[in-house]
Amino acid sequence: MNINYSLTEQDRIAATKAVGAEIEYCVPANLSLLGYRTAGSLVIGEKKWAYIEHGQAKEVGVITDSWAYKVIPLIGNVVLETEDEQGKRVLVRSTMEHAARFAYMAQVLNDKSASRQIRIFNHEEEVTCVKCGGGLVEGTRVCPRCTSKSAAFKKLFHVSKFHWRSLAIGLIVMIAASAIALTGPYFQEVLINGVLRPPDGQSPSMRLFYLALAAMIGGLVIGELLSIVRARVMANASSNIVADLRKMVYERIQNLSLGFMTSQRAGDVMNRVTADTDRIRQLIQELCTTAIYQLILLVAASALLFSADWRLACVVLLPAPIVAYINMYLWKHVLWKLYEKQWAIYDRGTSFMHDVLSGIRVVKAFGKEEREIKKFRTLHREFANATIKSETLFNMIAPITNYLIQLGQYVVLLLGCNMILDNQMNVGELVKFSMYATMVFGPISWMMFMPRWVANGLISIDRVFSVIDEQPEVLEAEKAVKHKIRGTISFRHIYFGYKSHEPVLKDVSFDIHEGEMIGLVGHSGSGKSTLINLVSRFYDVNEGQITMDGIDIRNIQQDDLRSQIGVVLQETFLFTGTILDNIRYSKPDATHEEVIRAARIANAHSFIMNLPDGYDTLLQENGNNISGGERQRLAIARAILNDPPLLILDEATSALDIETEGLIQEALQRVMRGRTTIAIAHRLSTLRHVDRLVVLEKGRIAEMGSHAELMEKKGIYYKLITAQRKMSKKNQSEELTG
Amino acid sequence: MSASETRKKVTSAQTAERLKEEETAGSLSDAADVYYLTKDNAAFHKTEGQMLAVTIMEETHSAVYVHSSFPHTNKHMFLSVRTLENREIGMIRSLDDFSEDTQQLLKEQLHIRYFTPEIRKVISVKEEFGYSYWEAETSAGLCRFTVRGGGSHAKLVTPDRLLVTDVDGNRFVIQDISKLTDKEFRMVEMCMYG
Repeated sequence: MNINYSLTEQDRIAATKAVGAEIEYCVPANLSLLGYRTAGSLVIGEKKWAYIEHGQAKEVGVITDSWAYKVIPLIGNVVLETEDEQGKRVLVRSTMEHAARFAYMAQVLNDKSASRQIRIFNHEEEVTCVKCGGGLVEGTRVCPRCTSKSAAFKKLFHVSKFHWRSLAIGLIVMIAASAIALTGPYFQEVLINGVLRPPDGQSPSMRLFYLALAAMIGGLVIGELLSIVRARVMANASSNIVADLRKMVYERIQNLSLGFMTSQRAGDVMNRVTADTDRIRQLIQELCTTAIYQLILLVAASALLFSADWRLACVVLLPAPIVAYINMYLWKHVLWKLYEKQWAIYDRGTSFMHDVLSGIRVVKAFGKEEREIKKFRTLHREFANATIKSETLFNMIAPITNYLIQLGQYVVLLLGCNMILDNQMNVGELVKFSMYATMVFGPISWMMFMPRWVANGLISIDRVFSVIDEQPEVLEAEKAVKHKIRGTISFRHIYFGYKSHEPVLKDVSFDIHEGEMIGLVGHSGSGKSTLINLVSRFYDVNEGQITMDGIDIRNIQQDDLRSQIGVVLQETFLFTGTILDNIRYSKPDATHEEVIRAARIANAHSFIMNLPDGYDTLLQENGNNISGGERQRLAIARAILNDPPLLILDEATSALDIETEGLIQEALQRVMRGRTTIAIAHRLSTLRHVDRLVVLEKGRIAEMGSHAELMEKKGIYYKLITAQRKMSKKNQSEELTG
Repeated sequence: MSASETRKKVTSAQTAERLKEEETAGSLSDAADVYYLTKDNAAFHKTEGQMLAVTIMEETHSAVYVHSSFPHTNKHMFLSVRTLENREIGMIRSLDDFSEDTQQLLKEQLHIRYFTPEIRKVISVKEEFGYSYWEAETSAGLCRFTVRGGGSHAKLVTPDRLLVTDVDGNRFVIQDISKLTDKEFRMVEMCMYG
């Protein structure tokens, strides 16, 4: 990340005057307190800071005169504040694009103010495209060079090329079919000129008549047969291409980081895998069958028209450019946008439905069915309106362009008849010409419909490739290795924030020894879950390092790392399938005995055995047909089945009643013995037996030690414990008296 | 009196009525335990360091921040005065409860906290590959910004008011989309559904 911007000559002079010859850091501070964008910069020298604007040092300060430099994220802007003898004060203000830079500056100023060595882990480099190395559009992962529409078609072509054999066969069949179609008018001419109206001095030939008739019928039959073959070959090819594409999108979705997935709506992502790829299939099918066929016919028939009579050919083809222009204009300026809007509204409707159906219990509990129906109605009315709008426009435009094309045909008849009267042409030639002209009109008329499916298809390509091209935030290192985890974990000066300027974890450093049980304690929002997310490498640290047995986890293959970590989260998720399948999820080749063993440890065996179908019980979506506690126990069984060297329990027993929790805790303690375990629990009593407790407070480690040590210390942990005890006693006495 | 003014008055009257009902209802109001600041119990002033300070019952908080409960629908009602540690010192029911000068001061603070330039003219919006690239004349000058598609980054927060959040987290607002020209609306409309 650039934290030393270049200044204009005028500003640089002012800056050096204010802070000394060497400007160590310089970042834009582009917002005034009154809310105007400015061309200002915050400049830091060895001992002073200054705010420079338009060649003037508007404010200058000695760094050590102030302390507690802090970035305050506001809404849509950030301010850098500090404290001096007079109290708190605002130094500079900026829009959000420089928020992360401000965070670095605060760190620099604090280090300088406390006369510490400046420690900047500026890993946040200005991102570049991983493919071409070029710069990305600011703030996005879009590379203008790699993502253009032609690039999208190229990618589609790249996906298609693995099916070149089917495509080539289809193309050959198409060329043959068009060649046969083009012979029709020729035989018509032969029929008319040879039999029906032979030229003066020639007698009609019945042999010629039968020959021409047989050729015409034969051409028709072969043409139809070829079109059947063509449709079959192309349907096959397009389905296979789209299957590949679907696989690519799905794989990409699976590999994308948690950050991207949480920012997208599930319904929208689903549509990209299903509906969009299907539209691409239609596009390929249309493109490779009708479009190419029509194009071949158009070119060949035009060539034959010109060879027959160039003047008449011009008359026939005159409307073509107008139609083409109208088509292009409509495609680019109207239909594209209308169809995109139509599909976006459709996505919204699907997302809404997904949302409401997932939360149907809440809807019913509050009796809000009518309200949800109304919302759904509104959304689908919007979709209907958008569809009506685009279809109406399309259907309004189609007859006009059709009429323009038909106009040429009448002019041909008019001119052709005049030419026959002047003996410049015979009837056979005019019929042949008219038939070729019809062949030209056919593709041109058809091309009017092209915007419709091309618009749909291109938007879908756009949407599908926007997922495929998305770069995962957590990247696999080039030389990532497999590593058998033993269980020693070191956190070294970890800084992490879901937004880099809002650190959730600050300077977290501690070691977990092999086989040690660690309890993470703290108020909600203190960074406990974030810390375990980092251990599983769902996110990468902003600064610092997490090592596993001395190896940086960024150098361990992600799959390998996660397969050795057993995770039980507060929110369990079970897939549709049998209980057996769900427990086996972490180790698909586990034996029945292993599954039963895991279930017994998780105290799930008894309830499973009570079910009529035992381990073969089919779970509904997210295990809705069993209770929350039972779901949680299955999740625990799933996590321990793989015998992971590292176990993470994030409020694993929170959904259980005290009695079941006690039973599971006892079982878990057996599992945890000799195994590195990190546990988060709301009920602190469940963490009493851990080897060490780490208390997090606002993202920093506040206390660390055993239960007894921390109780003696009478700090945060002691307060939390006593508060919970008080609450528990109060509840008990209320229950007794109540 | 304009329609919007009438509406505002009606809304204020309704709110007051509801509050009264709530107070009489008792339990919820007691449970919420809201401490309201008025000109009688709180005095706001700006420090030399451009911070907002407040003195309540002889206790001075040297740096406080004003949060709006309804930044889009009723920016100047139910303001929460909080410390940096996010502790609420008290709530302001309405800015009208204070003098002109204090109102001005609090409005200024709200303006700093909720920096949302108003889009006055949409010059262009180009969409490509999941992102839209905007160029607009705003109350903070000419702005070019990139908005990520999907995930409601351009959303209607009221039936008329469109909030646009760019990839960096900067916010822009179109106060009334019905006042956009047809051309502007067509450009913006695409992102509302993206």
